[in-house]
Amino acid sequence: MDDRTAPQPDDRHLYEHAPCGLLTCSLDGMVVRVNAIACRWLGYDSCELVGRLRFDDLLTIGGRVFRQTHCEPLLQIQGSVAEVQFDMVHRAGRRVPALVNMIRRRDGTFVFNDIAIFVAADRRAYEKELLSARYAADTLVTTLRQTEGELEKINLQLSEEHRRKDEFLATLAHELRNPLAPMRNVVELMKRRPAEKGPPVWEIGIFERQLKQITHLVDDLMEVSRISQGSITLRRNALDFGIVLQSAISDAQDTALFVSHTVAVSLPAEPVIVDADATRLTQIVANLLNNAAKYSPSGSQIDVSLVEEATHAVLRVRDAGIGIAAESLTSIFDMFSQLAPAIERAQGGLGIGLALVRGLVELHGGTIIAHSSGAGRGSVFEVRLPLSALPLAIERSPGGSTPTSATPARILIIDDNVDAAESMARALQIFGHQTQVEICGRRAIEAANECLPDVLLLDIGLPDINGYEVVRRLRADPATRHLFIIAATGWGQSVDRAMASRAGFDGHLTKPVDFDLLTQLLLRAQALRAT
Amino acid sequence: MSTDILRRNHVRIAGSGTHTMVMAHGFGCDQSMWRFLASRYAEQFRVITFDLVGSGNSDLRAYVPDKYASLHGFAGDLLEIIRAFSSGPVIFIGHSVSAIIGMLATINAPEQFIAQVMISPSPSYINDGDYRGGFSRADIDDLLATMDGNYLGWSSNIAPAIMGVPDQPEIRAELINSFCRTDPDIARHFAHTTFLSDHRNDVARSTTQALILQCSDDIIAPREVGDFMLRTLPTSRLEIIDNIGHCPHLSAPAASITAIDSFLKTVLI
Repeated sequence: MDDRTAPQPDDRHLYEHAPCGLLTCSLDGMVVRVNAIACRWLGYDSCELVGRLRFDDLLTIGGRVFRQTHCEPLLQIQGSVAEVQFDMVHRAGRRVPALVNMIRRRDGTFVFNDIAIFVAADRRAYEKELLSARYAADTLVTTLRQTEGELEKINLQLSEEHRRKDEFLATLAHELRNPLAPMRNVVELMKRRPAEKGPPVWEIGIFERQLKQITHLVDDLMEVSRISQGSITLRRNALDFGIVLQSAISDAQDTALFVSHTVAVSLPAEPVIVDADATRLTQIVANLLNNAAKYSPSGSQIDVSLVEEATHAVLRVRDAGIGIAAESLTSIFDMFSQLAPAIERAQGGLGIGLALVRGLVELHGGTIIAHSSGAGRGSVFEVRLPLSALPLAIERSPGGSTPTSATPARILIIDDNVDAAESMARALQIFGHQTQVEICGRRAIEAANECLPDVLLLDIGLPDINGYEVVRRLRADPATRHLFIIAATGWGQSVDRAMASRAGFDGHLTKPVDFDLLTQLLLRAQALRAT
Repeated sequence: MSTDILRRNHVRIAGSGTHTMVMAHGFGCDQSMWRFLASRYAEQFRVITFDLVGSGNSDLRAYVPDKYASLHGFAGDLLEIIRAFSSGPVIFIGHSVSAIIGMLATINAPEQFIAQVMISPSPSYINDGDYRGGFSRADIDDLLATMDGNYLGWSSNIAPAIMGVPDQPEIRAELINSFCRTDPDIARHFAHTTFLSDHRNDVARSTTQALILQCSDDIIAPREVGDFMLRTLPTSRLEIIDNIGHCPHLSAPAASITAIDSFLKTVLI
């Protein structure tokens, strides 16, 4: 019953050599008895422990806190604690992973803690592996959740983009229809026009302007998509930004948009030399001017300044217009950012002008930012382009390349849109050319063989065999191999040009065909025929 | 509202009296720690005990790490409990970290407190220059490692072996270790909040009359910390309980009650 006061010899032996370390401590933790196994595991002689050290002295500091905050209350309340893991501290200082059971025992007025320890290095290592596996799994789950969150964000962005594209398509349809109405009207007028009234000059003027507007919209659209596909290559030269700016301003002032605005220009006396593509730079300036005019009340002034600041040329276009809300200052350069439905906007447009400008500026290694004090308070667009280290390129004489007309030639026109083909034929006839029209690929090959025309104007998308195939077959036949063949197509991207060139076309024109460019090609064909 | 708080903090109310006494347990276990003091003071006062969110039978879903990343989160809960369940200012008894939680509450709402009894308080556990909190950062990491090592044993629903304890009735299996068992991630977070807290600058701002009860030998709140508290708290007295350990209310309840009674005599005239 009471093995402390009346130990049996066998009990003493069992205590000393039990298959676990045993310690008995008084309530204050002092070791009052310890067995040989515990002494061996912890590296002490029993006389170094008994009456000298407390159980806490055999624990790490963290272990002591844990024992006091967790084990002691449990011992108080439930009288025992089992399977607690402690790092015991060996006399030599190293840690001994141990599993500890404790029982609180009352003996008259004395209270003791009987403590059994089991060295558990293997079990600890195993549990550590389990724990680290759990943490790894937790980390994976966290990563997974983050990824899911990101996916969701991307989804939202995509659906937002999708929505903007839908709106953009609606705007596009609206903008393309606008010029169609007056065009249709003047066509009706021309149909009913008595022959004796002479040529319909007024109607043609309207028709031309509206056509120009449609062409302009489509050109912008193609440019933006070419920039976003990275398929624009710049033809860069060292040139004077000031000259480009002046000519763009004077072009702009010729348009209706600028009738009620004044433009104040401030330029440095010295040339501001940038390494740029003149056409693109003109486009940048023209778009910014257009933008300023479009969003300003009539009669207001637009300030344009160009200065050199350190290593950059800085163009600022300031207007007194509707301004930009702070939250939109960066997003206005995004594609399709003009979010207000077209019907609410007096000035129209596709809302891709600024995206185009930013794309072109960035292609030149520059930056563009917008400033505005807020809605209704005007805005400033600031373009920074790196100054060129190169000397100014030799100026070509301006305006010297108006194409002369080509000598009459026999031209075979192939297009499955009969109206397009016939109207092209008539236009070419006015220039004195002989024309023949075919509306499919096979007929085109037969006709080419029959009449051996000087030039073929060939559409790519045909109902039977496409334009590429037509060229391939014509080039394969010695009789038609030498023919001068021009692609006339709706696909104007550089990849389309490259494909046309690889397929064996001599030239490539985008519809609607620019007659100046066509004339240049006809002149080239003429020159080739002469050799 | 008050039922929400009741459930969230597993609030329990016993006894009756003109005054209300609120007891808040420390790091490690739950309101069972008050078993001796609560039953004694229920003869005299209305006694409210509760579990800190994340401990004992509190609603673990209420443990929002951001809220409880500082002791102010717990102090806010304490004030909600007092406002919901007491009609007047209270006598507050807080153990260990809850002594500091109570102190923060007395700063925010002194009108809710008659007096505060701080058992084994420490405003900062880590040594810092002349201040001896008793621990280094490495010691705290060691504690966290020990807690992690006991993750399987403490959180599992499988109670560890029941050992027959002489002259004590056997404890029911589901209650084994239950007083100290909680979600290991919460335990770890709470340990961080507790042992890395530093409220030394707040001590002087608590004007509620205070009794500091300290054990003669306590590694968690060493004697120097008790001296710091006495020196810094505007209205305070310090009593040393002859006890080895951190929980005099458990291991030396009689001495603790004597000290608290003599303090309360000066407070409740």
